[in-house]
Amino acid sequence: MKKIVLPGELISNGIKKLDHTYISNSNTYAAVVGMYNEERGTLIPLEGVWLPNIGEGVVGAVTSERNNVYRVMLTDFVEGLIILDRYSREYFKVGDVIRATISEVERKNRVILERYSLLRGGILLNIKPVKIPRVIGRGDTMIKQLTDLTGSQIVVGRNGLIWINKGNVDLAISALIKIENEAHTSGLTERIKQMLETNR
Amino acid sequence: MDIIRSGYIKELLESGKRLESRGINEFRQIAIKCDTLGNAEGSTQVDIGNTKVLAGVKMVVEEPHSDTPDEGNFIVSAELLPIASAGYDVGPPSPSAIELARVIDRGIRAGNCIDLKSLSIDKERVWSVYVDLYVLNYDGNLFDAGTLAVMSALSRTKIPKFENEEIVHTEDDKPLKIQNTVVSTTFCKLGSKIILDPNGAEESAMSTRLTIATDGSCVRALQKGLGGSFSVDEINNLVDISFSKYEELKEQIKAISKE
Amino acid sequence: MSHENKPELVINGKRADGRDFEELRPLKIEAGILKNAGGSAYLEWGNNKVLAAVYGPKEVVPKHLTDSSKAIIKCRYSMAPFSSLSEHGRSGPNRRATEISKVIREVFENVIMLNEYPGSEIDIFIEILQGDGGTRTAGITAAAVALASAGIAIRDLVYAVSAAKIGENLVIDPNMLEDNYSDADMPVAVSPKNNEILLLQMDGGYTKEELKSSFEMIFKAGKKITDIQKESIRKLYESVSK
Repeated sequence: MKKIVLPGELISNGIKKLDHTYISNSNTYAAVVGMYNEERGTLIPLEGVWLPNIGEGVVGAVTSERNNVYRVMLTDFVEGLIILDRYSREYFKVGDVIRATISEVERKNRVILERYSLLRGGILLNIKPVKIPRVIGRGDTMIKQLTDLTGSQIVVGRNGLIWINKGNVDLAISALIKIENEAHTSGLTERIKQMLETNR
Repeated sequence: MDIIRSGYIKELLESGKRLESRGINEFRQIAIKCDTLGNAEGSTQVDIGNTKVLAGVKMVVEEPHSDTPDEGNFIVSAELLPIASAGYDVGPPSPSAIELARVIDRGIRAGNCIDLKSLSIDKERVWSVYVDLYVLNYDGNLFDAGTLAVMSALSRTKIPKFENEEIVHTEDDKPLKIQNTVVSTTFCKLGSKIILDPNGAEESAMSTRLTIATDGSCVRALQKGLGGSFSVDEINNLVDISFSKYEELKEQIKAISKE
Repeated sequence: MSHENKPELVINGKRADGRDFEELRPLKIEAGILKNAGGSAYLEWGNNKVLAAVYGPKEVVPKHLTDSSKAIIKCRYSMAPFSSLSEHGRSGPNRRATEISKVIREVFENVIMLNEYPGSEIDIFIEILQGDGGTRTAGITAAAVALASAGIAIRDLVYAVSAAKIGENLVIDPNMLEDNYSDADMPVAVSPKNNEILLLQMDGGYTKEELKSSFEMIFKAGKKITDIQKESIRKLYESVSK
């Protein structure tokens, strides 16, 4: 049974360890607007702020460089650091768009990045990070049909930034916006497939 | 939704296209809602695409300016509210807000849209028309949205009665006399192309901007913004386009003032 | 306010605008109305028209205010120059707005889970587009919806409403006219989960019993306000697919 819960609403009598909840008087309450799945015991936020985790893939823009440390803007709140060592062959300029993986979470708004590479050309789209899982889809189904049917290169960052290059960029953007708006509904994968096929 | 890379926008333009398949000289969807604020003597909300502005008119009794003793006053102010964009800060009006207000003011004043002489009450007092433009959400082209909002709000403004030293609002307050309608069209240069009604992403990529205010027969105000330059040919062409847009925009204001 | 020329505020057991003593003015809320803000809400409460918006969490400005253990909250309550019937407000901060901004900030500092966003700043803006008594309570009620729609972790959906005393009568949600001539005026913000009071201001005169009764009236009215707030958020997720 799935239902939308609002902040302050009771999720369970008893302590459940779930993100986006808090404990009060040994009961668990929702802290954000989310979809609660009773069987699976999960709370998926419908709106929210992205908090980084090790291993997540991100897309960001280089904002400054000093002493071989690059600062990369991932969201308004979270910053990534690329620390070049003398073996690094990569070299970036301020304004470059890069993809990378989070290797360390120093604190909630600062991470260290590894496996970074430059993304040339293309555009950056910013959608709400909570909607990104829907863009990827279960078993990558959604992202695969997006790249197949638009012919575009699409790199999705868990931080909400998406890089799109070549192919039918306009169509890719429209589809991504639609996914963001309808992320909470069912049958979305099929509807997006139809939209992409009709407008190829 | 933010489209950050300006390079892509310029690329699109070189092939004659804009995002969302908009024409080079096409306005986004314009929505005008009137009389939204009951405490103001006139009010209008204008949306151009996602740009949202609100204009409120307050009629105040004051002394006339010493150099225009038999005329009322007309003052436009603008605030770029911090709610409108992450880039707007709390504080006194920024140079952009001041420029916005002054450019809109100039176009409407130069067009003699308000009969200021009709605002005289007696030897010592006149009506002052204070128009405050509140920018609620920024997505480009505040000049055109602002001019449309101010012009529409003025066309819906009723003048209260001034009796026994007090301002009194009644059911049959007379409308403010509007003699002329001014509209504005703002163009911006991206790469080698010039487009009408830039949205936020296009404005972040533009090199130069030109706002043209007309009343159908005359150009009433011009304001070039940012660095860059326009050739005279380009300007003349833009003025033509501006006149062609006049009727379209004027109809929208007229429809509102009749309701 | 002087009691000469005091209008009749209570006529035959009803208020001048036809309401019962415990009746709220009509309340409508629309969430997510501004595209750029992280969260937003537009609220109409009687003749009040209020816009609330939330930005952040984001970098702290100026940097030296950063608290590495938690978020700092900034709040700005502001009245538009065209918001009042009787005058043109000059723009710029005034002392009343500064105080109100502070007490509202204190409400939300209590309710936002600050430790979730260390080293950041969360900005809450409340713009009064039209005022008719109870603008600070309307602002808090709208800001709570804006915060929820931004997905910022909060303990509860807070609401606020005022109680007042007109002559012998205890009333809820006074409009500007009632406010001006009341014998006591008390805006209150509540976390409905445990009926905790997060904002309390009063001036005038209440007996102990009157105070108790007023709180009961506030909690009762609060249930209706909470329902409307929740409805406005759920509406954002009404199924789009057909």
